[in-house]
Amino acid sequence: MADGFPPPGPDPVGPAPAVRPFLVTAGRVADSASGPAMPVETQVVATTAGLAVLDRLSFEQHDIVAACRIPQSLAELAARLRLHLNVVRVLAEDLREAGQLTVHVPDFEATHDSSVLRRVIDGLRAIPDSRGVLRDTD
Amino acid sequence: MTPTDSLTRGTGRTAVRPPLPVKMVIAGGFGVGKTTAVGSISEIEPLTTEASITEVAAGVDDLSLTPRKTTTTVAMDFGCITIDPTLKLYLFGTPGQERFGFMWDDIVEGALGGLVIVDTRRLDDCYAAVDYFEHKGIPFAVAINAFDGKVEHTLDEVRWALDVAEGTPLVVFDARERGSVRDALLVVLELALARNGG
Repeated sequence: MADGFPPPGPDPVGPAPAVRPFLVTAGRVADSASGPAMPVETQVVATTAGLAVLDRLSFEQHDIVAACRIPQSLAELAARLRLHLNVVRVLAEDLREAGQLTVHVPDFEATHDSSVLRRVIDGLRAIPDSRGVLRDTD
Repeated sequence: MTPTDSLTRGTGRTAVRPPLPVKMVIAGGFGVGKTTAVGSISEIEPLTTEASITEVAAGVDDLSLTPRKTTTTVAMDFGCITIDPTLKLYLFGTPGQERFGFMWDDIVEGALGGLVIVDTRRLDDCYAAVDYFEHKGIPFAVAINAFDGKVEHTLDEVRWALDVAEGTPLVVFDARERGSVRDALLVVLELALARNGG
């Protein structure tokens, strides 16, 4: 697990405070009125400029840019930082505008291309039946 | 990977290039084995995030303070599989099946396909998900979770009861078995590929 992520625990998401997350976005929500919301699998990556000013960013912004040293989806960010998905959508857009993140929205025409489907199929076929000795739950 | 795979917003330099993300959706009634299936094949322990679903009826929740939206926050479990450094498959389990419907577009839009998990003892729990995928035209298969290796009805009985279209694959699988989940997902992807014309 990368730096900056909360340690794994038995309770990944406790009861989330409903008001605090949207105070972070000054009440803004990812709204369908401004076009379709970014897909949950959209990849987010920290820019070198973002990492350079990391120390000057406030709590959530800091955590997002720090976590995005490793490219990840909006969903992973939300889960790991325990933020509501729509809060992450708004903050990621802000940070992108500030030049601190790049946001890679998947092009659905590209993702549904037969060549991509075949790569996913081949990749899945390569997965063995059993996970071996690494699995420690269930 | 071509530059057209994703619409990059933002011009800053980044040290790393992200993979192209693709997703599949795992649907089904409460307790039917969605998270178990995700966990069986995901390379990470399933993560949980909070997402919003839009509700038609006015709800009593804190988010209703925001204008123009009546939303309910639900927990969504998901996992992922790195196909290669340039391609990553995400698996999203969809909660709140009793209200499954257009409000899930926010999560499902763009999915390569769906797997509707069925417990044959509670067939009607999955009607909404089947309807949803059929209505949206998303390739999907119905996967009967064989709890304890037993299925209460024959495949024909289940197909009849669910009234799924002839071309919709029906498979029996075990959500706890990695190979079994893999094979069920492959059925969906093969269907998606066939629809593309191979």
